[in-house]
Amino acid sequence: MIRRAILITLSALAGLTAAAPSVSAETFKCPHVGGNFTFGQEANINSLDQMTSGTISTRNIAMNMFESLMTRDENFNPILELADSMAETPDHLTYTFRLRQGIRFHNGKEMTSADVVASFDRYARVGLYRSSLANVDRWDAQDKYTFVIHLKKVQPTFLEILSAFSAPIVIVPAEEKDDPPMQLKTIGTGPWQLVESVPGGYVKMKRYEGYKPNTNFEQKTGFGGYKQACFDTVTFRIVTEPQARVAGLRTGELQGVEDLPTKSLADLKADKNTTIIPLQNWWIQIAQPNVSVPPTDNLMFRKAVQTVLDMDEIMDAASDGNYRLNVGFQYPNQAFYSDAGKETYNIKDPELAKKYLAQSGYKGEPVVLLTDKDYPAMYNSALVMQQEMQAIGIKAELKVVDWPTSANMALKPDTGWNFFYTGWGTQPALGALATMQFFVQPGAVYMPKGGQDDPQVLALWNDMNSLPTVEGRKDAFAKMQKYVLEQVYTLPLGSLTKVQAVRSNVKGYVPYRIPRMSNVWFAN
Amino acid sequence: MPGIILRRLGSALPILLIVSLITFAMIHLIPGDPAVTIAGLSATPEQIANIRHDLGLDQPLLTQLWRWYAGLLHGNLGRSLLLGQPVVYATMLRLPVTLALSAYALVITLLIGLVTGIAAALRQNTWVDQVAMLLAMIGISLPNFYLGLLMIIFFGVELRWLPTGGYIAFTDDPLGWLATSTMPAISLALLLAGLLARITRSTMLEVLRQDYIRTARAKGLPRRKVVVKHALSNALIPITTVIGIIVSLLISGAVVTETLFSIPGLGQLLTQAVLNRDYPMVQGGLLITTALLVLVNIGVDVCYALLDPRVRYDGA
Repeated sequence: MIRRAILITLSALAGLTAAAPSVSAETFKCPHVGGNFTFGQEANINSLDQMTSGTISTRNIAMNMFESLMTRDENFNPILELADSMAETPDHLTYTFRLRQGIRFHNGKEMTSADVVASFDRYARVGLYRSSLANVDRWDAQDKYTFVIHLKKVQPTFLEILSAFSAPIVIVPAEEKDDPPMQLKTIGTGPWQLVESVPGGYVKMKRYEGYKPNTNFEQKTGFGGYKQACFDTVTFRIVTEPQARVAGLRTGELQGVEDLPTKSLADLKADKNTTIIPLQNWWIQIAQPNVSVPPTDNLMFRKAVQTVLDMDEIMDAASDGNYRLNVGFQYPNQAFYSDAGKETYNIKDPELAKKYLAQSGYKGEPVVLLTDKDYPAMYNSALVMQQEMQAIGIKAELKVVDWPTSANMALKPDTGWNFFYTGWGTQPALGALATMQFFVQPGAVYMPKGGQDDPQVLALWNDMNSLPTVEGRKDAFAKMQKYVLEQVYTLPLGSLTKVQAVRSNVKGYVPYRIPRMSNVWFAN
Repeated sequence: MPGIILRRLGSALPILLIVSLITFAMIHLIPGDPAVTIAGLSATPEQIANIRHDLGLDQPLLTQLWRWYAGLLHGNLGRSLLLGQPVVYATMLRLPVTLALSAYALVITLLIGLVTGIAAALRQNTWVDQVAMLLAMIGISLPNFYLGLLMIIFFGVELRWLPTGGYIAFTDDPLGWLATSTMPAISLALLLAGLLARITRSTMLEVLRQDYIRTARAKGLPRRKVVVKHALSNALIPITTVIGIIVSLLISGAVVTETLFSIPGLGQLLTQAVLNRDYPMVQGGLLITTALLVLVNIGVDVCYALLDPRVRYDGA
């Protein structure tokens, strides 16, 4: 069937630059093995079912225990994880994955293609992003270590989608395929295995002695690569109060924490026992206009708002100074990054804005900024934006509710809002395709009138998905970004930095989308 | 006595029914639903809609209400949408943590509140009274969240006497439980101890002015006996009412303390459930909590009957 199959390196296939195995001088070996590491996590976890929960708190923990066929590297490019190789037929309709052999689940059972089939079956039934498999005709096990995916039609971006980490198709024992949503048993193939999970309290993992690292790599990279568990145990303790996380870090009860309050940073920097680790590009701060209702249905009005904004002021308030200005929807280290539309960003010209406002025919009606205090960055950015809008004569009013309420209101155009504040974290990291999906139906975030896509947006989106060459798709993304910014279908305000910290005797900790516990160790 | 208990239990049923209805209505009236939480921050509207469908949240409210009561009749409080665990299991897992913390805080409250209140009453208008009431006022005025933070910084970070957070079950390690529970229990107790001290003082003063106390003193009874046997035992009836309220406040006040000290108790569970709109968890958890508080009130009624024979005769 795959007689003429060609083994393609993923970097070439996905058009991404750093997917090839790392080429460091030697394979990683823990300089010190042992010790119990405790990490202070800011948010409660609900479930460790990585297939059905898309929350960051679940991913933080579960992705240390589960693995997938494919995942993302340090720069978010697709790489193989549980697959040893992947081949694509010349008609681009069949992908054959040769599994790594000798991989054992935490229950001791060897992973085979039957488990992969069962995992895909479960994902298709209850997986959070199961629609990503809509173009898959079927999957099957060719032999014990060969898994094959057959597509209905050519989809150049399929591997990008398959390797997404937001709620990935983690591979679990076939016996778990009927586990209901949110109730998947935590039996993975990763270097860490679950000891105990007490919701609201902690999740404890221990080193999985039967773990077989991926020898196609020499170091960890992103979610994958060559991973080794150096600690004996790792405990994620739920510490929702920021000052309690700081206190825990300072006493050494916690050896690592996330989301430190800015006012504590000076003290922690001065403390030789702690090391501050900023995680840049954590999310893109977003102000989302509702183009179905006046006055934000008027392009000139939206341009007036876009033109008056001072992104430094907004992002400084949103992040307590931990930010970067960033044009558009990708970061400079990403393959699809483009500054197309940069002329629309951070203009901060009140006079020009007033001119646009006059052209829009704005009559002084209230403009509702829908935000929440659960995420201070959202509230603070709305607060500053309100001031800047008021400065040019816009009657901007804040509507502050809690996050679930605001997120739910933002799903409908008729719930009394003009701008909705949110953050896009996972999708920009996943890539251009995942991010631009926000602008197409069903559920385009800018609320197009009558639920009808802007035809230009739709055409560019289709190009992004279907053009055969990477360069073509990249160009389509740049054009789509430029168009979306010109139409002010969203306002990306800047990129937020998440501040993490570890005790100084913790070595090898590199910030990423999750706190990775592999290849991290205590100095002697 | 059994008659009193049975009557009280009987009257609890409509209370539970009303509470369950109000809870259902309120949690569903608030905008937002658990799909937003499950989907994560960056989810697309389509993904959220899919989850809503999976969870049955797109069903009419009456259908959801019917499903909830049908389950209830079978003793099934449903399954938490976010935890994936049965509500009863999740609640019972957390309940001992909150009860243990509340019991510890109650002991501290009673010790500080009763001793301070009695001392202030017996030494009315002296420096003892003034200091006791000043301390009580400070206790009442300090928010337990702020007090907890101060304690973490002072006893946890500076002195390193106690852990800054976390929880060890009593059954796993009694000393560890004491270490992890002491700061939370004190921060929880001080506000209520202040309240109890002020009420104990005023009640004791009222009782100490009664004729039978004067008579007891005139008979030449020792002061200690007059205070303990005649004054305190009579003052205990209103104080018992307050203690009943304090127990309720301890359980509800545990929400803030548990969050601050990272204690996996019932308060934290229900707070998260409300914030994330985990409907079955909120409905079931609050029903269980209400039942618990009803039991506390029945306990208070029983105490009345034990302390005051008139209640027994009236209630017989």
